[in-house]
Amino acid sequence: MQYFALLISAEPRIAPDPESQAAGMAEFQAFHTKAGSAIRGGDALMPSAMAVRITGGPDAPTVTDGPFAEGAEVACGYYVFEAENLDEALALARDVPVAKFGAVEIWPMVGHMPSTQPLDNNWIALLLEPPTEVLTPGTPEWNELAAQHAKFAADAGDRANGGAPLHPPSTATTVRVRGGEVLLTDGPYIEGAEVANGYHILNVADRDEAIKVASMIPATTVELRQLAGVSGL
Amino acid sequence: MTNLDGVFRREWGPAVAALARWSGDITVAEDAVQEAFTEALRAWPRDGVPENAGGWIVTVARNRALDRLRRESVRPGKELAAVVDDIRARTDHADVHPVRDDELRMMFTCAHPALDPTSQLALTLRLISGLTVSEIARALLQSEAAVGQRITRAKNKIRHANIPLRVPPAESLPQRTPHVLSCIYSVFTEGYWSTAGPSAIRDELCDEAVRLAGEACALMPGERDAQALAALVLLQDSRRDTRVDDGGALVPLDEQDRGRWDRGRIARGLDRLQLAAGATGPYLPQAVIAAAHATAPSWQQTDWPTICMAYDRLIEITDSPVARANRALAIGFRDGFAAGLAALDEVADDPRLARSNIAAPIRADLLRRAGRRDEALEWYRIALDRGGSGPAREFIRRRVAECIGPD
Repeated sequence: MQYFALLISAEPRIAPDPESQAAGMAEFQAFHTKAGSAIRGGDALMPSAMAVRITGGPDAPTVTDGPFAEGAEVACGYYVFEAENLDEALALARDVPVAKFGAVEIWPMVGHMPSTQPLDNNWIALLLEPPTEVLTPGTPEWNELAAQHAKFAADAGDRANGGAPLHPPSTATTVRVRGGEVLLTDGPYIEGAEVANGYHILNVADRDEAIKVASMIPATTVELRQLAGVSGL
Repeated sequence: MTNLDGVFRREWGPAVAALARWSGDITVAEDAVQEAFTEALRAWPRDGVPENAGGWIVTVARNRALDRLRRESVRPGKELAAVVDDIRARTDHADVHPVRDDELRMMFTCAHPALDPTSQLALTLRLISGLTVSEIARALLQSEAAVGQRITRAKNKIRHANIPLRVPPAESLPQRTPHVLSCIYSVFTEGYWSTAGPSAIRDELCDEAVRLAGEACALMPGERDAQALAALVLLQDSRRDTRVDDGGALVPLDEQDRGRWDRGRIARGLDRLQLAAGATGPYLPQAVIAAAHATAPSWQQTDWPTICMAYDRLIEITDSPVARANRALAIGFRDGFAAGLAALDEVADDPRLARSNIAAPIRADLLRRAGRRDEALEWYRIALDRGGSGPAREFIRRRVAECIGPD
């Protein structure tokens, strides 16, 4: 089955020097080599200063520019893992370089529409909900919402480049590695905050088009982040 | 009529574990065994308890599960429908009769580190020990609704995040076994140290922890930490009846009636301790401390050097400030109360103890024993100000009265 890994870390206040940037990239490449075909997708995210939040849904979208919380820990990347069970997914998460200084959330996916086009000029729309308002997959309300998302993807055409709904936050697990020891916690990394319960990948020309398309997404809040296009996945 | 509760309690865990392996889904397993028990309540008083009660339960549960899967498979959109095909494919060739590893598999799944420790505990008590949600709620001093929701969420996580129902592969055992042992020890500490819940439930938790620790030893014969855990719970539990007086106040070890300690449990605990030699986890030194107390003819003749050494080892393993504070008391008996107070000074300001009420009563006790009554009184009052459970406060109030009283 497939798991969505959300990478979370504090954003550097100043851009890292080329040397440590190269070292960081090398760590990720080593992880990609080791994990091999278990990685089904993923990329780094551009800094949250360039992010956009859209609230209010398609009927009355309100757009706010990032960053949203200076110095806070934010999503910095994602993966889609193919793994036999949670133990395998956690073993992959443990090896993600970010786990050593930030955290990796592992969310079971309800289904997966893989990206059909390359990720080089794409944005990710993270669908955020208050944890208390997340619907349970399989319920009529959830099925109704899933149908709305399918309609969004159909309406967006080529600009919708894959995505997936996620199981509720109580099924997520947070992985951190500190001092060589793997620390697992039940649930998302930041308790009580809005949680991702799905995402769409958008294949768009620029930021304006990304906002236009993301405004059509039926979600309480959409956090729109540009993909760095560096993963080569 | 035969005591059906006893039969149920004995057969529940193995039946749920067998059905879980057979169906691959613990919710299906739990519901089916629950239905089989309901059926037994109807049939057994009429027909008598079958000779192989466990086999009867498992067979009826399997039939109920198959009925349910048949119903669910023609009801599209139901949550269970998604797993029905998987279960049917699996059950076609799986044997439902319990096998020895079933219960171990359940122990590892319930104590999976991706589940919150309290959820691990609640799940273990429900699925392995067969306590009802209401009993678990009383044991954990939580509302029935909260415990019910916690268990449901944990089961949903196991199903949807696909936590495997298995004994982990050998290379993962060093990381995973401590979670199983720690979960069993939590069952014990909830029963033994929590002094607030109803005593019947607490007795049941202590008994269940002793049973689970014994099972863990039987299922993982080479696991020395399991032997150490079994030794620890047996040796501590040998004092269960003497640690609280008729009025509900804690009775300190030096005032307990050693003649009422459970000699059978002590003997079994010491046997386990022999098998635990070489264990590397936190249970062996704690079991050594418990054994030193259990075998001492009197408080005065307690082997304090051994206890101090065991505390040193425990601190090496856990870096626990609580162990350091308790070690200070042992040092007091080995080297004199001034030395004990000096050892306590080294840990008293540890920020990890800031919110606990560990150091103050120990300091008060050392001062009292050193004859420094006024200072002892001051520290007993500080300890009272810091809260704590009813029986512990009751005991400290008694000490305050002793310090004030004529002497």
